[in-house]
Amino acid sequence: MGIKGNAFLRPVGTIASAAILIAGLAACAELPRDPNGTTERIRRTHEIVLGDIAGTPRSPDAERVLERVAARLGARVTRVEGHGENLLNRLENGKVDLVYGHFAEASPWAGKVHFGRPLGGRPDAGKEEHVPRFAFRNGENGWIALVEREAR
Amino acid sequence: MNRLPASIREDFARAKRLEWRTLFWMSTVVAAMFVTMGGSQAMRSALIEDVLSLVPAVTFLIAARFEPKDPTEKYPFGFVRVNSLAFLVAAVALTAVGGFLMYESAMTLIMAEHPTVAPVEIFGHTVWLGWLMIAALGWSVVVPMFLGRVKLPVAERLRDKVLHTDALMQKADWQTGLAGIVGILGIYFGYWWADSAAALFIAFSILRDGLSNMGIAAAELLDGAPRELDSSSISAEAQRLQARLEELWPQGEVRLRESGRYIVGTIEGVHPPDDLPKLDELMGDDPAWRLARLSFSPPQALRREDVG
Repeated sequence: MGIKGNAFLRPVGTIASAAILIAGLAACAELPRDPNGTTERIRRTHEIVLGDIAGTPRSPDAERVLERVAARLGARVTRVEGHGENLLNRLENGKVDLVYGHFAEASPWAGKVHFGRPLGGRPDAGKEEHVPRFAFRNGENGWIALVEREAR
Repeated sequence: MNRLPASIREDFARAKRLEWRTLFWMSTVVAAMFVTMGGSQAMRSALIEDVLSLVPAVTFLIAARFEPKDPTEKYPFGFVRVNSLAFLVAAVALTAVGGFLMYESAMTLIMAEHPTVAPVEIFGHTVWLGWLMIAALGWSVVVPMFLGRVKLPVAERLRDKVLHTDALMQKADWQTGLAGIVGILGIYFGYWWADSAAALFIAFSILRDGLSNMGIAAAELLDGAPRELDSSSISAEAQRLQARLEELWPQGEVRLRESGRYIVGTIEGVHPPDDLPKLDELMGDDPAWRLARLSFSPPQALRREDVG
């Protein structure tokens, strides 16, 4: 029984100690961290590069979110205008921090970039429906979390 | 008619109950994993492994339906070996999926795809999805660990390979869950590769299970000597039986093979003795039910020397 007891306790112990470690680390760093350091870079350069898809009207919801994010990071928003594909490509390569536009959840770009939640209280939007939202570079989880939290 | 030895019927019924319970509890794990999966490759591999871990349970339940049936005209030897067949199919599926997942995670690693784990809203709170994933993975560790532990002794008493493999795979499931958790924590700390590395580890464990199961299934389908449940070596029970039979009929050639959970023996080159011993006595102190049939093949039996 002794060995069996240990075999059960070992993973539990590991999980518990890992949890404590994380809690400790979380207290002193901005987490989740961006593998490509978007948030850190914005803090350093005080500039958020926003891709504005040509022809998309500016929405008050998006402007409000941008303002809040900019205020939190002490940055200003630099806008670059372009066409959808072009901007999303630049987003993928990290040349743009986020793109605002009308995107469907079922967009063919869905795997290559991350689409945030619909803006302006439209959580019930259909998968095929083009709704205003931000697109992010894949994996920049801290940055995504920060913007999404302000978008609530 | 129920063609199961009376001494194992109770364990057999218990095993069936355990497997139904497995299906239920593992479904809760699969559901939790599916809901929280998100963009993590490790999570995807772990989910697939959990779905696959239902296969041995289903295999067992299907085989358990057939095994007690009477032989028919088309299947004069009955259905004792249904589970060997089902087991082979399951092993092949496991191997294929393991190989595919290894390819997929290796590609994610090579292409340096960064997994996205975004916050989600539940009950009005915004929570990072990673924490929910870790909770689901934790559940996927606890459930199979308990199930595996309960099943193992039953599998050993029943000499049931499917049940035994099922129990072992579940006992080892904590590794998968833990690897998944490490992957998610990796994402949390900005190490994008930790996720696909964890996925690769999980895929490897699926592949390893598949390959070893294929070996076990093949041994029986090729009329191999009875094996131990937990290794490919010949079972001690069978070796003791072999020694006993060789002592009783030293002039004959004793050949034992495995048929489902039973041992079937032939003694070649010997006329059936007039005073046949009881089948039950031949097993000595080992469970008597295991020896299902012993036949004698006289020296003048028609047999090709160049086959088998």
